[in-house]
Amino acid sequence: MRKIRSHVEEWFKDIPDSEAKEAMKAEIVQNLEEKVQDLIHKGKAEEDAINKAIVDFGDIADIKEELGGGQAARNARNRYGIHLGFSIWGSALIIGLMIFINFYTSPDTIWFVYPTFGVLWWPLTMFYRWLANKQ
Amino acid sequence: MIRSDAIRGHLDAIILRLIYEEDRYGYEISKEIAARTNERFQIKEATLYAVFQRLERKELIESYLGDVSHGGQRRYYKITKLGRAYLRETIEEWNEIKDIMNIFMEGLT
Repeated sequence: MRKIRSHVEEWFKDIPDSEAKEAMKAEIVQNLEEKVQDLIHKGKAEEDAINKAIVDFGDIADIKEELGGGQAARNARNRYGIHLGFSIWGSALIIGLMIFINFYTSPDTIWFVYPTFGVLWWPLTMFYRWLANKQ
Repeated sequence: MIRSDAIRGHLDAIILRLIYEEDRYGYEISKEIAARTNERFQIKEATLYAVFQRLERKELIESYLGDVSHGGQRRYYKITKLGRAYLRETIEEWNEIKDIMNIFMEGLT
């Protein structure tokens, strides 16, 4: 029976700790143990019964989704925010460098606008990705 | 055995119906589903607990701990007033869907 508990611990290990998680773990262990008892009653060896109960359990992803309460979505939103911030800083630095080179080497011809338009696609793309993810 | 994604959208209703009849616990529900459908449909436990979470969050069911048995404490689920109303609505909707789909699905084999 310890094997069941350790399997359940394994399934739940990357879900953030909460009361709901502990309650669900206890519930699942109890239900699995009961199932194993039933299988043993039907003539299975304990080892086989435990394995069957664990294999039959199914994909833990559904539970993660419910327990996480949309944690994954929140993380994605944060990540896009960081991408956007990085793209703004990055493009500002590149444009700044272009302006500097432009005025330092050839102040009579204004050419820095061309690379500027090219570089601006970067934050623009990130902005719209961030916007799409926000909704 | 039926594809589980074909029935997925109706799992809430199936489970609510079983809890509506009497307070039940997880393993009992999965056994009951297998028995009533002659094992034609078996719910995965992982899915079952996800549904419990969802229904509880929507306040359609409540849970409480039962007596100690088999060395563990069973967690029973109980339908709420809101759950009953929701189930009634779902049944009406299901009858409607069934009628509509039958218009297109009947007569061909």
